[in-house]
Amino acid sequence: MRIETCYFCSSKIYPGHGVNFVRNDCKIFKFCRGKCHKAFKRKKNPRKVGWTKAHRKAAGKELAIDPSFEFEKRRNVPIKYSRETWQKALEAIKRVTEIKEKRTSHFVMERLRKGRQIEIQMDVKDVQRNMSLIRSPAAGLKERRAKEAAEEAALMEEDLPEEKITYVDARELEKRLEEGMGIEDLEMLEA
Amino acid sequence: MGMVTKRKKMHYGDTHLQRRWRVRNRRRDLDQIDDDLRTKSGELINQNVDLDKPGFAQFYCVHCAKYFIDDTAMQAHFRTKVHKRRLKALEVEPYSIEEAERAAGRGSFVKPKKRAMETQPSKEDVVAGKRIRVEEVPEGTDAAESPSTSKTKRKKAEKMET
Repeated sequence: MRIETCYFCSSKIYPGHGVNFVRNDCKIFKFCRGKCHKAFKRKKNPRKVGWTKAHRKAAGKELAIDPSFEFEKRRNVPIKYSRETWQKALEAIKRVTEIKEKRTSHFVMERLRKGRQIEIQMDVKDVQRNMSLIRSPAAGLKERRAKEAAEEAALMEEDLPEEKITYVDARELEKRLEEGMGIEDLEMLEA
Repeated sequence: MGMVTKRKKMHYGDTHLQRRWRVRNRRRDLDQIDDDLRTKSGELINQNVDLDKPGFAQFYCVHCAKYFIDDTAMQAHFRTKVHKRRLKALEVEPYSIEEAERAAGRGSFVKPKKRAMETQPSKEDVVAGKRIRVEEVPEGTDAAESPSTSKTKRKKAEKMET
């Protein structure tokens, strides 16, 4: 008795279940159920179908590379029964599965934690970008304008004593210009 | 209740699909084609005359596993989307039973290799000794460097010059 693996979704196939397809080059394709068989007939690529193990491992959803995967192997060599090896093998299998489960669950948890962090970052960015939806930029605009106006008025009152304006006789100015003085000199004179 | 329950026709009008998916109508799978490309592309392109095959088996596209009636038909096929899509599909190493087992937990995951794919050489070239070579593209090189795109680039450049 052997528990086979599905060609398409890599799940277990227990005896009496699933379909075998033998291609005309003698390769045997085993399918766990009609769903997988149908997908194969439609020439779907298991790597591109989300619910298959191949996709999940390729996409980094599950632990894919680990030495704990190297224990289980298809061994086509018959071994003579001995009670001792049997017992040892059973114990080893238990230990290996325990370690494997621990590592896979750890991997998944790490992945989820990272996802949560990214989610938080995205949320913060979202809020910053759409702040206007939470608080309108026009909120309190009237009051602010009134306040600014009041401030300006106050400033104007303070500035009331303005610069003295000096008046120059136009004819005098002309005379001076004729004499050949530049405008700058004029300004200097006034200062 | 005296109501007539109508049978739900889930698969109405998909006869042509069902026919295509029948085992007798199976075409070669990608992994078989991959094998053809690597081992016997020369024999497939330069086949003996077979009166039962279309075009007496003289015009065969290895990538699409398809016979054509003459050279113009084949050249037209090389310019189609179907053929280009197939080239693209063959760029990645095809899925295999071993990979299914690895995914099930027997061995670690191995990333499928990327290869460079180009339309097959002409028959004269094959007779002269040219074969399809399936070469792996080393990691890190962009798709822009693959031969198909570089070819289009070259074509564009030629157009620009003229």
